Amino acid sequence: MKTVHATELMEKVLLKNIESPNSTHIEEYRRVGGYRAIEKALRMPPQQIIAEVKSSGLRGRGGAGFPTGMKWDFASRDPKFPKFLICNADEGEPGTFKDRPILERNPHLLIEGMVISAHALRSERGYIYLRGEYPYAKVVLEKAIEEAYEAGFLGERILGGDFGFHLSVHQGAGAYICGEETALIESIEGKRGQPRIKPPFPVNVGAWGMPTVVNNVETLANIPFIVEIGGEEYSRIGNPDCPGPKLFSVSCCVERPGVYELPMGTPLKEIIYDHAGGIKGGGRLKAVIPGGISTPVLTPEKIDCPMDFVSLPKYGSMLGSGAVMVFDERVCMVKVCWRAMRFFEHESCGKCTPCREGTGWLRNILERMETGNGWKGDLELLRDIASSMAGKTFCPLGDGAAGVVLAFIKDFSEEFEYHIENKRCMVTG
Amino acid sequence: MIKLTIDGREVELERPVTVLEAAKRVGVTIPTLCYFEGLPNFGGCRLCLVEVERLPKLQTSCTLMASDGMVVRTETEQIRAARRAMLEFLLINHPLDCPYCDKAGECTLQDLVARYGPEAGRFAEGKRKHPESLDDPIIVRNMERCVLCTRCVRMCEDLQGAYAISVSGRGGHSLIEPFSGGRYDCEYCGNCLTVCPVGAIMSRLHRHSYRPWFVEREVETVCGYCGVGCSMVLQVREDSIVRTIPRFGLGLNNGLLCVRGRFGYDAVDGEGRLTTPLIRVEGRLEPVGWEEALAFVASRLGEIKDSHGGRAVGAIASGRCTNEDNYMLQKLMRFVIGSNNIDSAARFHYAPAEAFLESVFGQGITANLIPGIADSDGVFVTGGDPTAINPVLGLQVRAARRSGGKVIVLGPPGGLKRFVDHELVPMPYSDEVVLSAIVGGLMEAGRSSGENRAVEERLKELRLPSEEELSAAGIGPEALARAVDDLLKMTNPVVILGPEIMDGARASKRLFLVGAVAYLMNARIYLLSERPNYQGVMDMGCVPDLLPGGGPIGLEMLRDRIEAVLGLRVPEEGGLTLFEMVDEAERGGLRALYVMGEDLLFSLPDRARVQRALGRLDLLVVQDIYLTETAAMADVVLPAAAWSEKDGTFTNLERRVQLLRRGRYPRAGREDWRIIADIGGRLGMEKTYRSAEEVWEEVTHASPLHAGLGYSEIAGGGAVWPYHSEPLKGTEAGFAVQGLGELPGVEAPGGPYLMPERPLFHSGTLSRRSRALLSIHPEPYLVIPPSLSEELGVTDGGRVRVVGAKGTMVLKVRIDPDQREGTVLLSNTFEGANFAGLVGFTADPVTGCLTIEDNTVRLERVDDEAL
Amino acid sequence: MKIQEEIKGYLERYPDRRGALLPALYIAQRKAGWLSQEALEAVSEALDLPKATVRGVATFYAMYRQRPMGRHLIQLCTNVACMIFGAERLVDLLKERYGLEPGGTTDDGRFSLVIMECIGACDRAPAMLVDTDFHPGLTEEKIESILEGYE
Repeated sequence: MKTVHATELMEKVLLKNIESPNSTHIEEYRRVGGYRAIEKALRMPPQQIIAEVKSSGLRGRGGAGFPTGMKWDFASRDPKFPKFLICNADEGEPGTFKDRPILERNPHLLIEGMVISAHALRSERGYIYLRGEYPYAKVVLEKAIEEAYEAGFLGERILGGDFGFHLSVHQGAGAYICGEETALIESIEGKRGQPRIKPPFPVNVGAWGMPTVVNNVETLANIPFIVEIGGEEYSRIGNPDCPGPKLFSVSCCVERPGVYELPMGTPLKEIIYDHAGGIKGGGRLKAVIPGGISTPVLTPEKIDCPMDFVSLPKYGSMLGSGAVMVFDERVCMVKVCWRAMRFFEHESCGKCTPCREGTGWLRNILERMETGNGWKGDLELLRDIASSMAGKTFCPLGDGAAGVVLAFIKDFSEEFEYHIENKRCMVTG
Repeated sequence: MIKLTIDGREVELERPVTVLEAAKRVGVTIPTLCYFEGLPNFGGCRLCLVEVERLPKLQTSCTLMASDGMVVRTETEQIRAARRAMLEFLLINHPLDCPYCDKAGECTLQDLVARYGPEAGRFAEGKRKHPESLDDPIIVRNMERCVLCTRCVRMCEDLQGAYAISVSGRGGHSLIEPFSGGRYDCEYCGNCLTVCPVGAIMSRLHRHSYRPWFVEREVETVCGYCGVGCSMVLQVREDSIVRTIPRFGLGLNNGLLCVRGRFGYDAVDGEGRLTTPLIRVEGRLEPVGWEEALAFVASRLGEIKDSHGGRAVGAIASGRCTNEDNYMLQKLMRFVIGSNNIDSAARFHYAPAEAFLESVFGQGITANLIPGIADSDGVFVTGGDPTAINPVLGLQVRAARRSGGKVIVLGPPGGLKRFVDHELVPMPYSDEVVLSAIVGGLMEAGRSSGENRAVEERLKELRLPSEEELSAAGIGPEALARAVDDLLKMTNPVVILGPEIMDGARASKRLFLVGAVAYLMNARIYLLSERPNYQGVMDMGCVPDLLPGGGPIGLEMLRDRIEAVLGLRVPEEGGLTLFEMVDEAERGGLRALYVMGEDLLFSLPDRARVQRALGRLDLLVVQDIYLTETAAMADVVLPAAAWSEKDGTFTNLERRVQLLRRGRYPRAGREDWRIIADIGGRLGMEKTYRSAEEVWEEVTHASPLHAGLGYSEIAGGGAVWPYHSEPLKGTEAGFAVQGLGELPGVEAPGGPYLMPERPLFHSGTLSRRSRALLSIHPEPYLVIPPSLSEELGVTDGGRVRVVGAKGTMVLKVRIDPDQREGTVLLSNTFEGANFAGLVGFTADPVTGCLTIEDNTVRLERVDDEAL
Repeated sequence: MKIQEEIKGYLERYPDRRGALLPALYIAQRKAGWLSQEALEAVSEALDLPKATVRGVATFYAMYRQRPMGRHLIQLCTNVACMIFGAERLVDLLKERYGLEPGGTTDDGRFSLVIMECIGACDRAPAMLVDTDFHPGLTEEKIESILEGYE
């Protein structure tokens, strides 16, 4: 049933040339056309770059899918200076590793994207907030930044013009919550990474109280391409509502897990079966989490769903970070749910009551069930606790945790009930 | 105009506020835990959730700004269910130990659960365990009860500025802790206790000793420790004070207190509180009845007056006593005994500083409102650390800095360390060099307005230091220029002046220069005051040359006025200052001294000389609450009522008159004014008084300043300078200033200078009676810089022998990396180990203030075996 | 080298001293492998920040260590993908083979084990970091031979 898709004909944009052994070197990057967009961009007035990004239809790749051009516009219109540009390289959502190839194999693309973005925003100071769990990426990025300074793409008077931009890596230290942009800003400021009250939004009151744009790695990596081909052209790739190439990290029970660069809107089924090689060992598909652990799980009949920001909600889930986690019939859903909750409990920042207390309570109950100590009524209790959390937490972390439980017990209730009644697992026995 | 609807009620707002605040305006109270007025919003507890039409999710009303057309509901079934759920979450880990918890009865969580449920929790797993921490002498921390609202942390960081506690850990493992994890070692303001909604952070002082519903009465009064005059509430049960608390919206401190105010209330219940009058019989103080004691004092005073004249009698008033007490002492001296010999420890610094500044810049120059400091865009501080001397005023400086004001400190910054833009720490006794340079900088920038000719004429005489002289004084010319630049940018500045500006020779010059800085910047001046009522002491005429109301005794018009009111004569002959009285007693000219609420032997330097002087008196009467060292020398000791045991008024450093109200009856003593009035009656004073209010009534007639100012108006909080009057005195063109044309060289002393420490946890002899304050700061220590510790080979906590000109003591050392080179500090707190006991003194020739002399000391290490 | 010296290069990256707190904590942690009270005090002094504030920040982040660590730190991911591919068996193996419990240190001080949340290598699960070296695609045999290389 293999069909030929337009995607396979498309040249890679974000993962271009990463197979080259020298892909991280500036000479190699330039050899395949890198740092050309920057020259074009620096000749463009900042407002024009913002206009191009707006017309490209690019939406943030971190998970929320906010239109990038609009975010830039807000920050750019704020009269306060200095403005900060922060790259969110804190991908910590379980199942997500899509930014890793850029960070480790294509760092100059990110740097080029950031310099162009900074020029558009008239920002002179940028940070790459890199998760602490990626020590190798830190080495690669810092080397690349050094090369970019030497080549005149960073520092004062970039390419001899009036624009200057300084960039450094800010290493996170193991806090998933810092992927939330206001928590990330707190962390850059040297504080506990807890989210801030919004409004005001970072575009107006961000790092050190100044207008700040926080963009995901992948988002920024799209910028040179948009500048090169123009916003209009870009907007024709993939789904017209949220166009562009998209990185999908596919993991768990597939033959070929990995990061795939495909047009936005590629059907989930195609990703699993055509690109990732189908279910590992020829097993039967049981469930898919389409966008990282915090997005609601989908049952097999829903995998026709196009993978983009607008389609997934119609199927009861979200695109999130585009992290596709595929579970076959050998995976116990209670155990996955428990492990996910252990993660949320560990990562809850503790600021708001329902998330701080609720994640731990849910994990406790799931742990009992998983270890054969479930009680009658536990399923209702889980639903009740999760419903009490949903929509009432300070930031999306707690909402995500509640959503995971609600989705799991909605579609896989028989597995949970089996655990409670038989004190053992339906799958593994 | 923003119009919205909350629970069907229309709300109109002039400017945007949160939905929570908007609701409050129409009487709708939304339950909260993490919200606290005055603290930055947090939005964590999720109890204040409300429904807003057209918004899909419930919203936290504490963070949501009210906007036009909003329709808000605060108590629907959905909301009640959400609140019940949040409370159930909180109860997961909160112990249900309410019967044992001191907070029960005033616990927000308890109240909310009573209102919203749940009736029973469904959490079946084990609760988080954190044993109660009793590591701290004052604060009990119980993190099992903590709901992580972080009100305490925000209080500590954003209002107190102490940064002593923080949330540590993350998620469900979060705890609120001081750095050590145990002892707080903080400023111990206790403001975290005020804001804790549950029993997580509580005072140890009344642990398990009372329940909130045991409180029978609450009495609003004013703190008895320093010149700020914080309002506080005494909670009383069975005629004893169980707790003192501040209250938001009450007084200039608006909900904040400092360590002394909050925890020092037990100072009046220390051991050895005087219970009965004592008379010396054959060298020993023996208990006698009140009648006998009063009759004895009256007859002896009468005899001495008759045989030596009124001038042979003197009195020492007290900055710890009320206006009524001090007025009565003044009345006894001036109008019954016929002596102007009345003064107080305000003579050390406060009174001369104020008198000098008023003579140069006009009456009321230092009368400025404390809450205004926070609104200023710049603060210049010199002469002491406001966060230790007048802590709640110090918080205003921190607040000014936090809202963007610049803070410049001349001298060691102490508790302002984190709040300073320019820290100018000169060599010891070089402040006048730096002040001269600052004044020079301001004049060069053309800040002379010509408004005060006399001042500007005198400023022409000022010799400005060269860059070399400035550097020799320890301040780089660039640092000074930067500070002056910032001073020049201030549009609404404040100058805060502490007692240490008077230390050393030429006090008048430094005072004049600080005044000139304020004058050239058009700044408001605040004069720090170490006692609750130094200002009242002056206003009540307890200075030799001023009548009640502050009128100079030499002004016939004022004399006539008060004589007409009282029907009594003001003595003709000029009076003696405190220092002159000591001199005169030593010479034999002064025969009787009546000391009220002051321990002269302890607070004056050169103890041997003071002892000799007091020993020569024919009659020493000491009226106090403890048998102080001075009282132990007395011929008669009269037990007085303490701060919390009497009604009356204090006048704070703003010159705000405030009511002191009795919390409980005195254990044994009597109100000071009553004792004095009784003695006065025996000496022929006809007027009698039934209450402090009746004494005050007379003050409002006798003092032109306080005319028409009754207790009811004072109670309303409106008794602010200049009350209903006009300033009485103008400036004096012919004021004297010493040494304007000279600059001192920086001399190398023979040893380190011993300077007085003014610690946060103590304020002289009273605080050392407080078990609570002693538990924080139990013993004396000598603060030394690290260089000295190396030189002496002594480590922190080791001992040194301090050999001063007037005494020798063995003291523990505390090494402070911020301690100024060439100086060591000792506070005047502990008996036998006090600053005054080591140094000499003289009176400043111009201002009459205390000038410390002979204060270079020699230090020797003492090895413990040698002890 | 004192923290003050090492932190200098970082200070210019941030508009205020506090910005350099996370890097400073890393620097301090490199010295002893964990953040003792003394280390936190040194950071507080170097950046002129309140001690309690420094402690609050240091304890928020999972990768700052509050206890002494062994010579080599194993950070093993057991999140969903790694769990599916047998990370729990690896945890058991470390316990059996080295007596190493999650959160613990071997008696000889050679290894400490910390369970980490998603290492971002779900396509090569299970995976771990030993110190800063990344090791994906672990099996029971592989993990033993990898650890042989760390003395």
